[in-house]
Amino acid sequence: MTTVLLLLLLAVGAYLVAVLEDWTVSGRFRLTAPVLAGIALLGRESIVPRKPDRIFFEVAPFLLLISAILAAAVVPLTPDLIITDMATGALFINAALVYVLVALLMAGWGPDGAYAMIGGWRFLGQLIAYAMLIVMPITAVVMRAESLLTTQVVVSQAGVWNIIYQPLGFILFFIAAMALAFLPPFDLTTSKGELAGGVEAEYAGVRLAVFRLGRLALIITLAAATVIFYLGGWQGPLLPPWAWSTIKILAVTTIMLLAGRYMPRIREADLLAWCWMLGIPLALLNILLVGVLVLVFP
Amino acid sequence: MTAQMFFIGFFGLAGVWFGIVVFRTFSMVRSALALLFSQTALGAMFLSMQAEFLGVLQIMMMATEMSIMAIFMVMFMMDPGGLGEMDMTHQKRLSLGAGIVSFVAAVAVAVFVDWGPVASVSPDAAQQTIDLGLELLGRSMLIFETAGITILTAMIAATAVAIQPVKRTREQ
Amino acid sequence: MSIELLLALITGAALFGVGIYGALSQTNLVMIMMGIELILAGAMVNLVAFWRYLHPDNPAGQMFVLIIMTVMAIEMAVGFGVAIARFRAKGSVEMEEAAELKG
Repeated sequence: MTTVLLLLLLAVGAYLVAVLEDWTVSGRFRLTAPVLAGIALLGRESIVPRKPDRIFFEVAPFLLLISAILAAAVVPLTPDLIITDMATGALFINAALVYVLVALLMAGWGPDGAYAMIGGWRFLGQLIAYAMLIVMPITAVVMRAESLLTTQVVVSQAGVWNIIYQPLGFILFFIAAMALAFLPPFDLTTSKGELAGGVEAEYAGVRLAVFRLGRLALIITLAAATVIFYLGGWQGPLLPPWAWSTIKILAVTTIMLLAGRYMPRIREADLLAWCWMLGIPLALLNILLVGVLVLVFP
Repeated sequence: MTAQMFFIGFFGLAGVWFGIVVFRTFSMVRSALALLFSQTALGAMFLSMQAEFLGVLQIMMMATEMSIMAIFMVMFMMDPGGLGEMDMTHQKRLSLGAGIVSFVAAVAVAVFVDWGPVASVSPDAAQQTIDLGLELLGRSMLIFETAGITILTAMIAATAVAIQPVKRTREQ
Repeated sequence: MSIELLLALITGAALFGVGIYGALSQTNLVMIMMGIELILAGAMVNLVAFWRYLHPDNPAGQMFVLIIMTVMAIEMAVGFGVAIARFRAKGSVEMEEAAELKG
């Protein structure tokens, strides 16, 4: 029952992300736009390029969707509203999100197109850069919670939210989450200008619809993960828990989408250099600081 | 036949099958991703053996590792797409024999050794994680630290070996 | 002797066999490394099975698996380092063309 409800919520969330994305790009708030776009995509022919790696080409969009759903499975919206409260939840989110990389690699290699392939390998190069920036801030969060349970992580923020307790980790995680969902300005994988859509370039019709759906689910999942790790999850005064979760997740999604609207796209070499030379030392410093803080102010 | 038995058998079979696919396909990216799915199946097998932390860790680690393997395959093979169906093997009969002999020997050991009493219950997942953490930072700390230092050494050594040698010439 | 333990050990043995075959038969360094990864994976399956069915109360069994994962990572790092150096020097990482390494 909870599973069905949460999957429905995930679908609604993905729809809202689509509306918000449309709003940040076009400046108009149209509630029906994603429906029309979806119908248009489903009506179009789903072209298969010449000499594809057929298995990868077919599997990749679904793998993207499945990895987003699996990551969403350990995210609690209220104390009870969670699909599975795994004892290693905070690690499992990472494990599920790494398969986004695998999906994009397959989508890049499968269709046998130059732009798609560059996009796919680019994502691999980037992931090596910021994968550490996802894992290391989560390590610091888990250190404070003294548990890998995601519900326990939220409970541990009852006094002070992690965004105040470890702001450095929040910034790093937020940037890395945006890069993982290939949102602008980190959309090097699907950059519209230089790669003509990158990994999306060779997809059309139903397959592209699944691919886009997977990406929307990924964005909402990452926003939810940011909320439970840093913004105190369902906690907040007056309103009931589910309302706080909804408000926070939508707010984070909006900020994620708006941030890219006003920034130029980063060069991939720059992103790699910044992540390695600045991001990883900062993440290590964050772990050290949180370690000291946990000992001093538990 | 219990559910656990079924899942161990199923994921084990999947792991071995993907492992065989690694050496049977001509496409290098397929080969690397087959290895990835083999390892993922093993991770799922760990999960069905109630080793939750190890299973999740395996699933997470191998995805990055094998993706990196895929890009190296594409870099270093002459025919990464496998469209030419080039034969990239040698001493086939010897290696097949060695593989089968080692498989049979290992199975014989597994079957004929008396493993003693088998435990039916294991600690629950949260307890396991706590135990493992205490083990890592307690009795086995020295071993774990040694592993960390070894990784650091390997990283430095690999970078030192792989880095482009600077040519010091007077012409420029 | 439980069937679960036997199944896991047979899986480990099969992975070991496939890995041995791959490591001996392939001509490319990266493919040989894949064979070695499979051998290590077989060892890992056995260790997890031994931990679960023989000594579930001793976390040292799980620690052993972590060490094997470390070994896998080290093997990858050093192997690719050597591969890059070799490729730079000779233009290929084919073992057939590396006969001068034979002692």
